[in-house]
Amino acid sequence: MSAIHLQNLVKKFGDFTALKTMDLAIADGEFMALLGPSGCGKSTTMNMIAGMEEPTGGKILFGERDMAGVPMGRRGVGFVFQNYAIFTHMTVRQNLAYGPKMRGAAKAEIDRRVGAIAETLQLSPLLDRKADRLSVNILQRVAIGRSAIMEPAIFLLDEPLSNVDAAFRAVMRTELKQLQRQFRQTMVYVTHDQLEAMTMADRIAVMDHGVLQQVGTPLEVYNDPANVFVARFIGAPGMNLLKGRPAESDRGLVVDLGPLGFTPPLPGELATAMRGARGEVLYGFRPEQATLVQNGQGLAMPVTFVERIGARTIVHLGQGEAAVKTVFDNDVGLAIGDTAVIAPTASSVRVFDAATGLAMKAG
Amino acid sequence: MSAVTVMTSKDEMKAAGAKPVSRDESARLGFRLTLPAQILVLFISAFPLLMQLYISVTDWSPLSGTGWWNAWSMWNSFANYTDLAVDTRFWSALKRTAIVMIVCVPAEFLLGLALATLFADDFPGKRVFYSILLMPMMVVPAVAGYMFFMLFQSGGPVNDILSALTGSPVTIAWLSDPTLALIAVMVADIWQWTPLMFLILLAGLVGVPEDQIKAATLLGANPWQRFVTIVLPKMKTIIIIALAIRVIENFKIFDTLYIMTGGGPGVATETISVYIYKLTTQDLIWGYVAAIALAILIVLSIVAVFAMKRMARAREVAA
Repeated sequence: MSAIHLQNLVKKFGDFTALKTMDLAIADGEFMALLGPSGCGKSTTMNMIAGMEEPTGGKILFGERDMAGVPMGRRGVGFVFQNYAIFTHMTVRQNLAYGPKMRGAAKAEIDRRVGAIAETLQLSPLLDRKADRLSVNILQRVAIGRSAIMEPAIFLLDEPLSNVDAAFRAVMRTELKQLQRQFRQTMVYVTHDQLEAMTMADRIAVMDHGVLQQVGTPLEVYNDPANVFVARFIGAPGMNLLKGRPAESDRGLVVDLGPLGFTPPLPGELATAMRGARGEVLYGFRPEQATLVQNGQGLAMPVTFVERIGARTIVHLGQGEAAVKTVFDNDVGLAIGDTAVIAPTASSVRVFDAATGLAMKAG
Repeated sequence: MSAVTVMTSKDEMKAAGAKPVSRDESARLGFRLTLPAQILVLFISAFPLLMQLYISVTDWSPLSGTGWWNAWSMWNSFANYTDLAVDTRFWSALKRTAIVMIVCVPAEFLLGLALATLFADDFPGKRVFYSILLMPMMVVPAVAGYMFFMLFQSGGPVNDILSALTGSPVTIAWLSDPTLALIAVMVADIWQWTPLMFLILLAGLVGVPEDQIKAATLLGANPWQRFVTIVLPKMKTIIIIALAIRVIENFKIFDTLYIMTGGGPGVATETISVYIYKLTTQDLIWGYVAAIALAILIVLSIVAVFAMKRMARAREVAA
């Protein structure tokens, strides 16, 4: 069994709480990304799963088995370090053979397993090369192979792509995803790069300040952020959030954005969810899901900046609290100083309680 | 900061209308600028070496009544070197020096390595112990010699401790027994120079990448396996440096030993340096001394060259 259950997991370093009561269930064979800014507790969580750090409280279960007190060498966990931690004084073969050799496997057995894993990872021609002058994608494969040869049920990867240049990252992402399909292990992948999490993970656990914010598939996290943090963190740029108050109009429930006027009426389900709410709310919509309207109902805002990045154009509107960004697939011909009237796509609008930061949902 | 400096010097060059210098010209300028240093090096290393070589083929002594530059008149057709080959006192001193080295250097290395391993982790009072541990290295060797001279007296603290441990009075005459005197001298050397070994090895130990050690642990290596397969190979270069330093220094062991035993009893603790010292100050046969010193220099140079070659290769591998 290689499912992982984290139950009320807590980690404190002195007075500093790195992780506050985390509950997370990772299914057997699942690719789970732990995503968050630096210092959010994702690496701490990973290190506790690996056994490098002891939890201050709570439980870690692999399947049914409690991992408390099980030393890291006995957890059957493969770990790929941020810089791969390849043994540079050895050859590729010696790196791959390290685990079985330390556990006293017979020479013939080691040779067979190294041969097999090298074949899978296309490392066979490189087996007798010194590991100190390999390119970074080879290093990644050696690091994965060195762990995979132990046939771990669980694979942990600690930001393995953070030292790789942007162009190569796409290649490595594809390779990594293919490897996971091949090995079918449970994978936990720590990253601060949402693109990596979105493209590779089955589910994403978004974390911030030691608190698990939301767990869901990449699209769930993108489309239905549980709170303001996730809304802002996921997406590039993140979700636009404008402060306002719910107000009744003759066309239905709207949000009164103050100087910006009323928003277009909220879709029925959202309006139901907000019934009775009278406090401040945050009106949110994705930068990609707003259209320019000529004379219709919309938010009129001054253009403050235009970024043209080839295929897309990012238009910055408004200032301070009332600033939003919109992304268009083509050059919309707006210049700084123009006034743009935008209308968010109704189905993409989300509303958050300004006091709690939580998404308002029906039911 | 450096960018600013570069800009200023460029500006100055521009202002002075300086033309770019050719390679030959700059090499010549470099030679002229380093000339004083080269002359100095010539005087402190090449000149004494040639002088030594010159004297070593003569019978010259400060009592010859003539300056060393006139030593050619006392040419003895390499008799010093042929004498050296059959000088039993020289060979036994060399053997003794080798024994001291074979015992002391590995002992200092193993103790230093054990201590470095201990100090690589944190433990309460680490800073205090660290300072205490480094102290022997800072004691003037002559003072250390007196210290151990007194410790090993028959009525001294070493015997007192042994008496307390065994419960019966112990009065071993450490420094007058040929074997025990050699042991006492080696104890003093190990006491004084283990800290240096410890310091160098600790520097090497903290330089071993921590994540590689963690990776080895995750792959199931036990502490001993980690030490042998990761830590030691990574420390290879620094171990060679530490051993080379101590081999060369230990070969020249003199001050502590001379104060403790004067090479005695008899010649029981007479090492090469002590022998040379006696020949120089008591027998005054400087031609012969020059020959011995030169022979030893050659042997030590071979050790140093070997160590440096290994180091260069280790660095190549590690890079």
